[in-house]
Amino acid sequence: MNRLSIAALAFSLVVGGAARADSVIILNSDEASYSILSRSTRTEVVRLPVGREPHHLVLSPDGKDVLIGSTATNELLVLDFKTGERKRVVKDILDPYHLAFSPDGKWFVTAAYRLDHVDIYHADGFRLAGRIFIDGLPSHMAFDAESKTVFVTLQQSGRVAAFDLATQTVKWNMPVGNAPAGIVMLPDDKRLLVALTGEDRIVTVDPKDGSVQGTLQTGKGAHNFWPKGDGRHYFLSNRVEGTVSLIDTRDEPKVVASVRVPGGPDCMDITPDGRELWVTQRFLRRVAIVDIDTMKVVGGVPVGKSPHGVFMMKSTATVTAGTGMPVRAASTASDRK
Amino acid sequence: MRDLLDIWVGAQAWLFETLVSPVLFHFGLMAWYEPGYSAVEFVMLGVVQIAVIAIGMRYFERRWPLEKAGRDDGLIMVDRVYTLLNKLGVIPLAIFILTYPLVQEIELAVRSWGYAPPRLERLLPWIGDNALASFLVYFVLYDFAAYWLHRGQHAFGWWWALHSLHHSQRRMTVWTDDRNHVIDDLIVTLALVLFSQFVGVQPGEYVVILMVGRLIESWSHANVDMSFGWLGERLLVGPRFHRLHHALSTPAERHIQDHNFAPVFPIWDILFGTAIYDGKTRPTGVDDAVADADNGRGWIVQQATVFGRFARAVMPRLRRRAPAR
Repeated sequence: MNRLSIAALAFSLVVGGAARADSVIILNSDEASYSILSRSTRTEVVRLPVGREPHHLVLSPDGKDVLIGSTATNELLVLDFKTGERKRVVKDILDPYHLAFSPDGKWFVTAAYRLDHVDIYHADGFRLAGRIFIDGLPSHMAFDAESKTVFVTLQQSGRVAAFDLATQTVKWNMPVGNAPAGIVMLPDDKRLLVALTGEDRIVTVDPKDGSVQGTLQTGKGAHNFWPKGDGRHYFLSNRVEGTVSLIDTRDEPKVVASVRVPGGPDCMDITPDGRELWVTQRFLRRVAIVDIDTMKVVGGVPVGKSPHGVFMMKSTATVTAGTGMPVRAASTASDRK
Repeated sequence: MRDLLDIWVGAQAWLFETLVSPVLFHFGLMAWYEPGYSAVEFVMLGVVQIAVIAIGMRYFERRWPLEKAGRDDGLIMVDRVYTLLNKLGVIPLAIFILTYPLVQEIELAVRSWGYAPPRLERLLPWIGDNALASFLVYFVLYDFAAYWLHRGQHAFGWWWALHSLHHSQRRMTVWTDDRNHVIDDLIVTLALVLFSQFVGVQPGEYVVILMVGRLIESWSHANVDMSFGWLGERLLVGPRFHRLHHALSTPAERHIQDHNFAPVFPIWDILFGTAIYDGKTRPTGVDDAVADADNGRGWIVQQATVFGRFARAVMPRLRRRAPAR
């Protein structure tokens, strides 16, 4: 991609809100790049370089920036939310494999997957408040509604750990199953759902003490969640089985629908109209598009090698939810009910 | 092009999800999930390389051979075994499993100090926007490291004890490149992986560099009477250039093998004064009865005897106890 193309892209994105609302960012983790896709044409518009091994990204609390964690270069790449253009680089953020802001926007937390520590920063200026070394490949995270606790899955040790944000100490560290990855706090703030990638199920965990309260069979390699936005349903990618399950979390969680998405489905996001789920297919170098009403794959977009994080640019104001996932403000409000 | 890529990626994903993923899942080895997927690509690339060698390069060897068929032809068989074991990932997988923890420890220790690899894109921003330029720059750097490692293989007695296996062949062919002792492979791989991480080569780029580099090296060992021309021979290592490096030393040219070390780009030999372009054709092999005895042995015996040479080189006490010749 030459500079002329990049300039043309930037111009086209700046021209109007419609353009940016139409864009999707995909992180190509094995080729150090991110793709900007057009949602309407379902094509890759441009592919741009980014550090090394980018895996996850998150929206800033003020909704102005998108932050990409470049794990192997220990830095964050800050993109302008309006244009998708690179604004600056935040250095000395060690191994930011997963990253999220607390719901109140005061804390910024990274899970250093390979370096085995969880870093808690003051979000304002990314000042490190505390680094907690913990064995077992810390991977995904979720927060409680009051922004007091962050829950982190430890993929290798099969545990989930809870950290007090204010004191940067471990509150509990409990076994939950084989290779826990995705974790989400349900809107009632009383249940954590944890996906077990080494198994074919998810478990419900009590955020107070980490005890496992229930289990639900989903698919082999249960990996990551994404909220549907109605405060009740969550999508779950099953990497080994190559499916995405739709889980109803009211009362006892249950699988209400499923769709085949081959190629190691991983991260997900929903279009602003709530009609499509975009899923990265790590092994196929593609993004699958699932029609949510029919739960069928209706399209796909070729991207780079090992696509991981996906971020849907939206025309409405956005905030980060306690799940560590960027979602629309409206969705967040309903999630909290 | 995208269609070809889709076919390739589709095949890789199918092989992984059908053969590898269920095994990893069953045995609770999900930490190896991503490396397992990369390993499938490595094996697929190995099959492509073998096809290119067996069909493409062999055609040139048959059509324009430098050395005619002779009594040493049977000695080539073991070199084919080396190529299959390497290209199909058997040796690389063993090396990967052995070195992965060490590479991880070194990388993690360095990174935990807050050190991040110096990426060339910061010095040369234009390469970040150009995949081909980025590939070439990292390829040149990789080859530079490989050149000095190769010089090390000839400079240190213990390393030469291992590397002499590569040179002991009497018939140089497209199969010769992979004829190495596993410890030699391990040392070189470990050094190149660490170097690549240090300069910031991406994992995806590393695989391509490895494949293109090894294909060029297989070609440079070919038994063909061809030249890239005056300029071409100075841009890319070919059979004539590399054949001199394998030349049998004589009293008049005792250190002939200490020349033309470069794996891919001859510029390193030109810059560091080790290049020879004289157009002469020489017989290949080693002027050392002990190393020459590798010929006629199978893979296992070669590995065992060369390990013995290596052990005696690193432990002088063993050497003293060895029977006098």
